[in-house]
Amino acid sequence: MLRMRRKRVCQFCQTNEDHIDFKEERKLVRFLTEQGKIIPRHTSGTCAKHQRQLATAIKRARHLAIIPYVTDFTR
Amino acid sequence: MAIYESVFIVDSLVAPNEIEAILQRLSSIITDHNGTVRKIDKWGKRRLAYEIEKKQYGYYIALEFEVDASTNLPKQLEYEFNFNDKVMRFLTYRYDKNKLRAMAKEQKETEEVTSETSSVKETENKPVAPAESAAEEKTSAEQDSPNEQTEENV
Repeated sequence: MLRMRRKRVCQFCQTNEDHIDFKEERKLVRFLTEQGKIIPRHTSGTCAKHQRQLATAIKRARHLAIIPYVTDFTR
Repeated sequence: MAIYESVFIVDSLVAPNEIEAILQRLSSIITDHNGTVRKIDKWGKRRLAYEIEKKQYGYYIALEFEVDASTNLPKQLEYEFNFNDKVMRFLTYRYDKNKLRAMAKEQKETEEVTSETSSVKETENKPVAPAESAAEEKTSAEQDSPNEQTEENV
């Protein structure tokens, strides 16, 4: 069976955002997995232009300890 | 001229006057390079997402400044940050075109809000105007037109 794929739209394009700021922690967290990895474009639906911006924003935020590099699950 | 921003994390246990001293030193370095400090934004004490130098908390400060792109000021600031033991992390970056565009948009919006009533009057009186205000006229005209239509309908 072919599953119907819902077409995903870039969330940044919808809100008409020019710039993704690395200081807005809550916005960035939506594009991270539980482990803290960047969610790929084909999953989140972000357009190429915004994914590039998002990636740099996330990397900057990680460097300044705003969001974690890895969330470790202690066992 | 290019606009840069330095965000840095200072140990949260450092006294406020010491933070001021750091800021003053940085500002003096910027002004030495013929730059101007645009904004100092203290985010305050925040919990770090991960430990840095075995510390859980940090005091965040963002320093926005404008300087000629040909100077090596970012490098100088890097030396300063590395030299200072109280600075745990720092990040200096230049505002890219997207950020600048967003800033221009924001500024325009605030200007429109403040001078909305006056600009409308001006556009009515003066049909010929310089290019910059002409663009504003267009946008304001577009914004006005739906309102007028609704009023007519009512």
